[in-house]
Amino acid sequence: MNSDVLVQDGYLEEYDVVVIGAGIIGSMIARELSRFQIRGALIDKEPFPGFGVTKSGMAQIHSTDFCPPGTLKGKLCLDAPERFKRLADQLDVTYKEVDELWLALDPSQIANLEAAKERGEGHGATGYEIIDAKKIRELEPHVTEKAVAALYIRGLGVIHPAEWSFALTENAVQNNIEPHFDTSVLNIQKTEKGKYRVLTSKGSFNTNFIVNAAGLFADEIAWMVQDHHIRLTLKKGSVAIFDKSVSHLVRHMIFGTFSESHSQNVAPTAHGNLILGIHYTKTENKNDTSVEREGLGKIIKLGKELVPELSERDIITTFSGIMAANTMTNNGDFYIQPSEHAPGVIHVIAGAPGLTAAPGIAELVVGMLADAGMDVKEIKEFNEKRRGWPRFSTARLDKQKEMITQNPKYGHIICRCEKVSEGEITKAIHRGASTLDAVKHVTRAGMGRCQGGVCEPMVLGLLSKGLGIPIEKVTKKGKESFVTEGVMGK
Amino acid sequence: MKRDSLELAVIGSGPAGLAAAVKARQEGIKNLVVFERDERPGGILRQCIHSGFGLEKFNEELTGPEYANRYIKMAGDHGIDIELNSTVLELDKDRSIRVVSEKKGVRDYACNAIILAMGCRERTRGSLDIPGTRPAGIFTAGQAQRLINIEGLVPGREVVILGSGDIGMIMARRLTLEGAKVKAVLEILPYTNGLIRNEIQCLRDFNIPLMLEHTVAKVHGEYRLEGVTIAQVDHRRNPIEKTERFRSCETLVLSVGLIPENELSKTGGVLIDPRSNGPYVDELMETSVPGLFACGNVLHVNDMADNVSLEGELAAEGARLRITGQRSVSDQMVDLKAGLGISQIVPQRCSKKQDVWLNLRVKKPMGKIKVKVGDIRQKTFVCARPAEMVRLKIPKKAFEALGPDITTLQVSCEEA
Ligand SMILES: Cc1cc2nc3c(=O)[nH]c(=O)nc-3n(C[C@H](O)[C@H](O)[C@H](O)COP(=O)(O)OP(=O)(O)OC[C@H]3O[C@@H](n4cnc5c(N)ncnc54)[C@H](O)[C@@H]3O)c2cc1C
Repeated sequence: MNSDVLVQDGYLEEYDVVVIGAGIIGSMIARELSRFQIRGALIDKEPFPGFGVTKSGMAQIHSTDFCPPGTLKGKLCLDAPERFKRLADQLDVTYKEVDELWLALDPSQIANLEAAKERGEGHGATGYEIIDAKKIRELEPHVTEKAVAALYIRGLGVIHPAEWSFALTENAVQNNIEPHFDTSVLNIQKTEKGKYRVLTSKGSFNTNFIVNAAGLFADEIAWMVQDHHIRLTLKKGSVAIFDKSVSHLVRHMIFGTFSESHSQNVAPTAHGNLILGIHYTKTENKNDTSVEREGLGKIIKLGKELVPELSERDIITTFSGIMAANTMTNNGDFYIQPSEHAPGVIHVIAGAPGLTAAPGIAELVVGMLADAGMDVKEIKEFNEKRRGWPRFSTARLDKQKEMITQNPKYGHIICRCEKVSEGEITKAIHRGASTLDAVKHVTRAGMGRCQGGVCEPMVLGLLSKGLGIPIEKVTKKGKESFVTEGVMGK
Repeated sequence: MKRDSLELAVIGSGPAGLAAAVKARQEGIKNLVVFERDERPGGILRQCIHSGFGLEKFNEELTGPEYANRYIKMAGDHGIDIELNSTVLELDKDRSIRVVSEKKGVRDYACNAIILAMGCRERTRGSLDIPGTRPAGIFTAGQAQRLINIEGLVPGREVVILGSGDIGMIMARRLTLEGAKVKAVLEILPYTNGLIRNEIQCLRDFNIPLMLEHTVAKVHGEYRLEGVTIAQVDHRRNPIEKTERFRSCETLVLSVGLIPENELSKTGGVLIDPRSNGPYVDELMETSVPGLFACGNVLHVNDMADNVSLEGELAAEGARLRITGQRSVSDQMVDLKAGLGISQIVPQRCSKKQDVWLNLRVKKPMGKIKVKVGDIRQKTFVCARPAEMVRLKIPKKAFEALGPDITTLQVSCEEA
């Protein structure tokens, strides 16, 4: 996002609160904080919101039955679908309602489903139903005939998380939170006045309160304020995306078995593909987004077991994301606590399902800040609404015509697979999508079956024009990720 | 919505679409429009600035743009309307299309016939499952070609090419001429996947190493590509671990195959042959939906533009007969089935009422072969490779030998 206006070298300003990390959790917190009469900043090392773990998950708003009894995360996930639905409306972003079918592939697995139902109901959730093979086939004719029963959970959903982080950030910024992207937090010092000084690659921020929502890097941020007890354990999860031509095969989030090395799951995505996961491998490296051959083979096998018609031929892309658990809690629960050493600092260490819990986490964190002494006076003019921009491919015919009348560039299709117009791409660039990947995540140009093969050169040109930079300076994802070496003969 | 009517809509202005449009106009079809999503006509030939086009059609060796320009000029001379920056969004079984453009907005057309000439797209990294990171610097061959030849941009300086398709080999030469170092062209199969002439003229003449039975086992680099692990493959095409080696490069070009782009055809109910990945057609290129015709790379991946134009002309002939009500569905059709040694065949059926040109591909490289079409036709070829299309004519006369009860002909090949 474009924060150049605000950031200069040697920058030093006074803040009430600084949120470190603009993943789904940090951006949700920033948006929640923007209701109050405070000066706040949202900082992220990436050029765009949601480019940490957030963009690379399964993107599902889960039910609480995944969470062990008595856990904080169980509580935070409880009414997640309703919260997301409300937010989708306020923020003008996609929330697609999808129901869940957790299959038992042999009778011995039915006990797991019953236990899950009990767990969910223990958290206070309702609407669970165990259904038989006949009903399963009515709901999902393409799932394996081996399915003998399923836990049927209605009213869940899927989102596109990077799009959400962006919308949340935009709404926070509308309400005066300052965005600072491409900005790495390097250290945190205590000042004489009992405040903190957050030192970053782009300058310093003096602040009373800090929210550590740095995801995989939350441990390193915690160590900056001497909370050395905070430790993460990492595992990498690999997933695959299928061509839209096979989307008719699955309409529910389908789950199968779970183990240390996999979660068996096929589901629709918010924008109509199928996603298949998850194969886990151990990793120590937080930047390890590679996908291994073995993992790919494993995912495909898992998927075919649930939906035999799935074929590797229809995979259009694969990627991986890292899940962080912590060593401070039992049962894999979240650790969301004020610092033990630094008053006014809140650590948010949330593993899966962090996306689902994000709205609940944001409320919890604001409460903790208030308890720590932050003045939470609501601003009168808080604007809970953020508007996106019209999308050609999903607009109705009359709307499409109106769009083109207003701006003919909406009639110029750049991404042919996803039918994304020049008008939309230019809009996204003006609103802060400054890299190929950012444009891809907020407009879908390059997300389709040809994976940008055709539209990428055109998007490059639009980025160069929109950002006013030479084409060789356009990057795929910030830093040194230059796409070309520039004009020939130069 | 109000619909404009057209006698003929041609979707795509590559060599297939333009040849079809010109032929249709010459044959008297007046009310016809070519729709093209790009800003200029010519299709993929616009970026194929190497020579090797037109030997058959014009008896001259032309570059891609020169070849396209011949047709663009003919289209201009015939006053054919080519609507640029116009994307066809939908195609319906009732032969109507929805088109969007900056100038005209969204429009619907009811057509008497439609010629599908949308071409193909490239296979990507995603469809190959190459493990590793996802940095900048990975291009498909066509994308690299577009960047250099149309946008005038340099993709990179130190290059590894995966796949020995024609565009990949041509790009190896092109990048070398632009001063880049092409470290290797890797091919997973034991033979190249493009024309022999390209292997000689693009790789051998420029001393670019060709490594058969090799692949990229892993991609490295967080931001821009830093290198690839290359490896020899076993007989199941899996990388052999102990042969893995790191090669530094900041650019990886993928030339791993083309797929006819039939998403639109499918919305029109056109049946697709899983062998060719294109529509089932008869000898006049009519698909399973009457009035919808297909030609060029949307039908099957061709090696030569000249052949593509010929297909376009056949489609135009079929469309003319359809528009003028002279084409009746024959109940005397013969199915042509790919038999022993043959991987694909176009057309897949014919009417026995005229000469038919068969386009075949063999499954593996062979020496001298004999191709047989049932018992009615056979021909010997000196050699055959999967990358080079085999063309064979069945004269109308040959069908006379066929009893009326025979509805299928096996097309097979064997070592002669
Ligand atoms: C494969 C996979 C599947 C998943 N599926 C689901 C699912 O279906 N449903 C669900 O609810 N959850 C799911 N999750 C979990 C969910 O994605 C995460 O819990 C959630 O995205 C975490 O969000 P975050 O904001 O904490 O982290 P992040 O998105 O990683 O955000 C942290 C941000 O902090 C920034 N940052 C870090 N260090 C610094 C620094 N020093 N200076 C400045 N900025 C910094 C990073 O750039 C990043 O943007 C999945 C996870 C994985 C890996």
